[in-house]
Amino acid sequence: MRSETTNVTTILLIPIVTAMVCYVVKSPRLIGYANLVGIVALAAYAAPIIAGAVSTPISAGNGALFMDAFSAYIMGLMILYSLAAAVYSIGYLENELAAGLIDFRGMRRYYGLFHVFVFTMLLVSMANNLALMWIGMEATTIVSALLIGLGFRKRPLAVEAAWKYIVLCTVGITFALLGTFITYYASTAVMGTEGALNWTMLKGIAPKLNPETMKLAFIFVLVGYGTKAGLAPVHNWLPDAQGEAPSPISALLPGWTAFYAIMRFVSIVTPSTGEAFTGNLLIIFGLISVGIAAIFILVQNNFKRLLAYSSVEHMGIIILGVGIGGPVGLYGALLHVLSNTFAKPLMFFASGKIQARFGSTSISNVNGVLSTMPLLGTLTFIGALALSGTPPFNIFLSEFTILKAAVDKGLWIVVGIFLFFIALVFYGVLSAFGKMLFGAPAAMDAASTARWQASRFGMSNMLGNLVMIAMASAIIVTGVRVPEFIDETIRTCVLVLGVK
Amino acid sequence: MKAWLEAYSIVDFISVGLLLTAVTLNAFKSIESYVKAYTINSWLLACLVAAVAVLMDEPHLYVAALLTLATKGVLIPLFLRKIVRQMRITHIIHPAISNALSLALSSLLVAVVYASLKTGITVTGFSRNVLQIAIAVILISLFIMITRKKALVMVMGLLFMENGLFLAGFSLTFGMPTIIELGVLFDVLMGVIILGIFVVQIRRTFATADLDKLTVLKG
Repeated sequence: MRSETTNVTTILLIPIVTAMVCYVVKSPRLIGYANLVGIVALAAYAAPIIAGAVSTPISAGNGALFMDAFSAYIMGLMILYSLAAAVYSIGYLENELAAGLIDFRGMRRYYGLFHVFVFTMLLVSMANNLALMWIGMEATTIVSALLIGLGFRKRPLAVEAAWKYIVLCTVGITFALLGTFITYYASTAVMGTEGALNWTMLKGIAPKLNPETMKLAFIFVLVGYGTKAGLAPVHNWLPDAQGEAPSPISALLPGWTAFYAIMRFVSIVTPSTGEAFTGNLLIIFGLISVGIAAIFILVQNNFKRLLAYSSVEHMGIIILGVGIGGPVGLYGALLHVLSNTFAKPLMFFASGKIQARFGSTSISNVNGVLSTMPLLGTLTFIGALALSGTPPFNIFLSEFTILKAAVDKGLWIVVGIFLFFIALVFYGVLSAFGKMLFGAPAAMDAASTARWQASRFGMSNMLGNLVMIAMASAIIVTGVRVPEFIDETIRTCVLVLGVK
Repeated sequence: MKAWLEAYSIVDFISVGLLLTAVTLNAFKSIESYVKAYTINSWLLACLVAAVAVLMDEPHLYVAALLTLATKGVLIPLFLRKIVRQMRITHIIHPAISNALSLALSSLLVAVVYASLKTGITVTGFSRNVLQIAIAVILISLFIMITRKKALVMVMGLLFMENGLFLAGFSLTFGMPTIIELGVLFDVLMGVIILGIFVVQIRRTFATADLDKLTVLKG
């Protein structure tokens, strides 16, 4: 293990500095560029460190911060979707500003909070201490609640969504802290108080922890962080938050922070309680999530909420993959995380544009996107096919891997339920987006068309379109074949998480 | 001092006080009483930490006690009072169920917690009752949040929950490292401020702080 305090703390500092710069800049155009420079600098600076951490774990700040292959992987994905959302935000916010939905102060607050949000996410993925990770997680909730409720004077529903979000997630996360306390209790019994909450230490003594105590701790943690991850039946905040938040923020929710925390707990609880306990709990949570999401997708008439239920579904599939376990199941789950990092934000970006063009989030009000806006339509089509799990896109590949793991283990009931629900999702997602993409375009009034063509959010939104094209290509490329270095990284992660 | 604390099992006494202040929420009709109950609850919590500090001879727990007193006992109540004044409404809570039934259900919760944790984890510390009390406080707060529909009551419920959680934390771990304590308290404080902002926003946007009216988003 190497110690690289300066490098690692610089990664955390870049978003903070960017947030400050965004807060003092005085012009709407400049603020967008400050945000762009900050996030690109973060990505460029972090990339080699992340690549290094995959092969050799890094520790920093006297062991308070820590990066192994798994945190590097999750962190890389976090930076990737933050980068995409930051670039997309520029056009999105200029459009909101032009439409009078937010004022300049709101815009400044948006960018400032956005980068603080990035900071808190990175902190979660780097914290070596369970309680420090909890602190970071609560901070993500607080900051993102403000982002969801942004511009609330014009959008009363956003207040309702943000309120639900912060209340439900704070309750959830309180349970997670209780679980953390119980873990601390179990670990002090084994090794005393010194470093009793550090992953690196806990991993070593995991088999010696009291199984009864760890079972209790895991239930609290799973319910707590499961709320934050958007697992059913504690997902209620997610459709509201993702449906009402600004589109780039919807793309960042719920993010991989809570999933990361659950995985860290799984890797120390499993050696103590045995695989059956954690596995079964995760499978049940996963299947309930996929099932509830499938039902709500079928009856949904709001495309942003439909996408939110699709996030619940995919989080369920990931947790299911972890629950099925074994190298193949975990590999599938981690691959699914990667697939979703591209597909879900792409769809939220596209839905943001559709919403801006049609002035509605209702499926019945949107028609013929493909013929009126060919590029956007094509990208949405690719995203919808990917989200519904159609081959040859990447989500099909990861779902298939998880399915294979379940078949290998002979979990036929799980396979049956899973296949039934994803068939429902397939139908639900494709029928909704098919209706929006094809069909006769409704006559749009000339004034709104002219406004759209003139706005920097339409065809002339070069950066936004570029990001979306890049994500769509990533979906196709990783769907055909998982690139060598990603395959390598995921294999290392599986080893790090202690699955043989 | 130490012998005296042990002889009269002061820690148990204080914990019961914490439980009782949580139970009184069932009977109160106004937000102001909730804030008062919370203040007493937080002071008791700080006393408990101080008592544990004396018993365990842990200097860092004195710091934790002071921090708890400063944030939960002083800053948060002051902030809540400010919000209540700012809202300028009749602060009468209309519970979904009658107070008597509410009280009965709360005591049922306490009984269930005691019955189910009898054989669970046995805390090796100085008191066997604190964990049960802590979890009972958490559940009662949740129950209050479910049955009352005012936005501010939700905030109060959350705060009581967090006090219960701190109690559980102390009974299980005799205090986390100070830096962690500090971080958690800071998060709680920020959370309360943000929640307060939203309560005021809800009132401004919907002209009510009744969560019954927030029913547009569903399905």
